Amino acid sequence: MKNLLFVLICYLVFLPYSPAQIVLKEPLSSRQTGYNIEASLDPVAKKIKGDMKAFWVNRSIDIVQNVELHLYLNAFSNANTTFNKESGEKPGNKDSEFGWINIKYITDNNGIDLIPFMQYISTDDNNIADKSVLNINLPNAARPGDTVYLNIKFESKLPSRIIRTGYSGDYFFVAQWFPKFGVYEPAGMRYSTKGGWNCHQFHRNSEFYSNHSVYDVKITLPKEYVVGSGGMLINEKDNGDGNKSSTYRAEDIVDFAWTAWPGYAVYKDQWKHVKITLLSPPERKNQVIRQFQAVKNALEYLEANVGPYPWPYLTFADPPAKGGGSGGMEYTTLFTSESFYGVPGYLHLPEMVTIHEFGHAYFMGILASNEFEEPWLDEGVNTFWEGRIVDHYYGINSGLIDNELFKLSDKSMSRLSYVGSESRQASSNSEFSWNYPHGTYGMMSYNKTAVILNTLMGIVGEATMNEIFHEYYKRWAFKHPSGRDFINVVNDVVVRLHGYKFGPDMNWFFDQTIYGTGICDYKVSGFFNGKVVLPEAVMVRNDSLQKPLSGSDSVSVYKSVVELERAGEVILPVEVLIHFSNGDNVNELWDGKSRFKDFSYTGNRKIQWVKIDPEYKIKMDVNYINNSLTDEPDRVPVRRLTNKLISFMQFFITFLSL
Amino acid sequence: MKIFSAIKLSAFRSLKTWKGVLIVWLLSLILVSMVALPIKGVFKSGLGNSMITEQLKQGINLEVFTDLGTTFKGLVSFFKTGLFMAIVIGFLLNVFLTGGLFSAIKSSAGKFSVAEFFSASAKNFWSFLVILLIISAIILFLGILIIVIPLVVVGQADGPTEGIMMKTALITFSVFFLLLVVMLLVADYARAWQVLNDKSGYFRAIGFGFKQTFRTFFFSYSLMLILLLFQLLYGWLVLSILPGITPVSGIGVFLLFLLSQLMLIIKIMLKVLRYGSVTTMMEQKRQ
Ligand SMILES: [Zn+2]
Repeated sequence: MKNLLFVLICYLVFLPYSPAQIVLKEPLSSRQTGYNIEASLDPVAKKIKGDMKAFWVNRSIDIVQNVELHLYLNAFSNANTTFNKESGEKPGNKDSEFGWINIKYITDNNGIDLIPFMQYISTDDNNIADKSVLNINLPNAARPGDTVYLNIKFESKLPSRIIRTGYSGDYFFVAQWFPKFGVYEPAGMRYSTKGGWNCHQFHRNSEFYSNHSVYDVKITLPKEYVVGSGGMLINEKDNGDGNKSSTYRAEDIVDFAWTAWPGYAVYKDQWKHVKITLLSPPERKNQVIRQFQAVKNALEYLEANVGPYPWPYLTFADPPAKGGGSGGMEYTTLFTSESFYGVPGYLHLPEMVTIHEFGHAYFMGILASNEFEEPWLDEGVNTFWEGRIVDHYYGINSGLIDNELFKLSDKSMSRLSYVGSESRQASSNSEFSWNYPHGTYGMMSYNKTAVILNTLMGIVGEATMNEIFHEYYKRWAFKHPSGRDFINVVNDVVVRLHGYKFGPDMNWFFDQTIYGTGICDYKVSGFFNGKVVLPEAVMVRNDSLQKPLSGSDSVSVYKSVVELERAGEVILPVEVLIHFSNGDNVNELWDGKSRFKDFSYTGNRKIQWVKIDPEYKIKMDVNYINNSLTDEPDRVPVRRLTNKLISFMQFFITFLSL
Repeated sequence: MKIFSAIKLSAFRSLKTWKGVLIVWLLSLILVSMVALPIKGVFKSGLGNSMITEQLKQGINLEVFTDLGTTFKGLVSFFKTGLFMAIVIGFLLNVFLTGGLFSAIKSSAGKFSVAEFFSASAKNFWSFLVILLIISAIILFLGILIIVIPLVVVGQADGPTEGIMMKTALITFSVFFLLLVVMLLVADYARAWQVLNDKSGYFRAIGFGFKQTFRTFFFSYSLMLILLLFQLLYGWLVLSILPGITPVSGIGVFLLFLLSQLMLIIKIMLKVLRYGSVTTMMEQKRQ
């Protein structure tokens, strides 16, 4: 009876977690965690008071003795936190500049005070100054199927130097602001060998790994504030005391953030079933159409080539200049762009950021991989799609910059970052996000991964690549895939569509690229055409004589040889195009394995030029210059560039001298 | 004297100095080529007999440069040093040749003589250099005072919107430009005085420049403003024509080279027109 009463009380307390669907027709995830938060913002003290009821369901077969919670804001509490040490930035000097989160009250299902069971842990680096992860040893262990309810009162102080989260004057970007469960990974999940919490400290280079949850969040703040959040506005009421309370509901997202600023102008648009809201400083009015168009482009492309965007709403904010540190962030149904007053039309950087951050709704939001441990699966896969979308809609050679003076595609940008990096072989992509040496995190996680995936697309084709991602979505949406899970999808789809054309699987590709440090460099070492006597000609392999030689005594016959070389460690199949003097083109496919490879031809034609990878599909190749060789190089572009350089310098010097 | 008749008169006189203009142009071409041609050589050998140049047909393609690897890094550092040297030498060379130009344009100048041109250049070099350095320093100071400080002040206030920043920038740049006109007048009057008086004494020259500018302020200012706006317009024209042309044939590239050099010569002539107008104006006032 007592038990029944308890169940009833719990049911009433956690009523919002009843299966009732408000946003979506049906649950999309297993919803292992859920949060009901009442938050009130004190815009003067820059603090948020929170009253939170949260649960975690033990869906494993383990008896779980503890729970681990992220207390991210503590990363801003002193100069020696892991976050501050990694970023080399100081949190500030005054109290008002620091950020922190305090748990004032915490009880479990049975009303037991959990404060004595709390303890900060820092398993990533044993840094005792870091209090961004809280461990709670449960008085009653969670058996399989049990739900752990936490009732928490907390106070969060936002930091003044916005790095993702914080405040600037009356502008607030409130992210990573409440105690949040880590992910309990039973043995086998993401290839882990034993069950345990995956709850990393707050690092400079990563922040996301969470279960998909339902969020019911009520935010109270002065009514002049315009609020945007990752939830759908359910109800808003004027409290009569100068404050208002807005209630938001979000389903199946991995994190809940919100922003508040009296200065926002609100714009609305719609794409199919998705109501889109943009919060932006009013003076950026002429950027609004561009911003909406960018989001709609991304929605269209990702829905067509990956899978549906299931939520009926989407909010994005373009932070004012003073809140620039919160630009370019992703919280699935809420993201931030980065724009500026009067960005010229040929510069698509705002579109690039918008498309990238929206893209995280898929790569991280829906396909909720572990950004801490496999940043490439989050940032890299997303950058690959960002490049495809940006270049598709804004110019295949000019997606980022489309000026007559200078053009740059998004894909080129990724390749430049990788090829131009002196540390491009410093590590592989199998590192945790904070372990990349020589500042290579961004280049490796974002750009090298994008280059690798573009190379894969060059090998298997665009249609196969899209099918890979359709399948990845189908298998792993609203779950937690690992890199190996993604590669398994690649293997299955490639074999299904191409048989064993590329081998029994594609592991050879990923072992060399994602998990390897070698470079790819194929090269034409040379070619030559030597006159031969006729009898020899018929004996030569690869003879591709097309015109009969009979009666053509006067015609010279050549033995032509192409010499190719693999100068890098990475082995990939490459296409070779050989052009002959009579206009013939011969395509060869080289498996790329041996260090050196020759192709020989005999006939009444001479080789004029040779190209490896003639369509520049192997983006990983670190040197395109040595990919081709010709008898008659076109020097005109070099002359043109030199002449332009000369005129530019002349005008510049004339301009400088009064 | 009306502004336009002053410009007309000095236009005729400027045209008379065309040989001087050609000397300025030729020396600038030689100077800049000393930096650009080695770069071309290294770039060309870096590309070898590759067909990658097809990627340069549409314009600059950064990937071709990064793929040059260490060669590219070498090119960049050579270019940086080369550009710096070219700017320094080009600046001094221009200071030097300006003496010849001012001298050739004055009313008492006879038929253009190369020897006289260079001897005037040499005679006026040091005083012109000092005048220009002082005026440049004042312009730099004004720039900091008028553009940088207000922008920093506005930028540090709590929550300036970028609209306000942009408006502040627009206003400060406009004010700076209006004052720049004054400083150029001073510089030109000072140099014209220097050449006409055949005396050295750069402080007296600058003093005269200020005095003359303010004595005939309305007239001088209007004239200089018109000339500068014309130069700006021309600069805009050059920028909107030259960078956009990307010829693919050898002859096309050669024609573009001729066109850009011609435009540069016109640019130098416009500057000489400015020198001429100021000199004419000063001579008129003295009579
Ligand atoms: Zn990202």
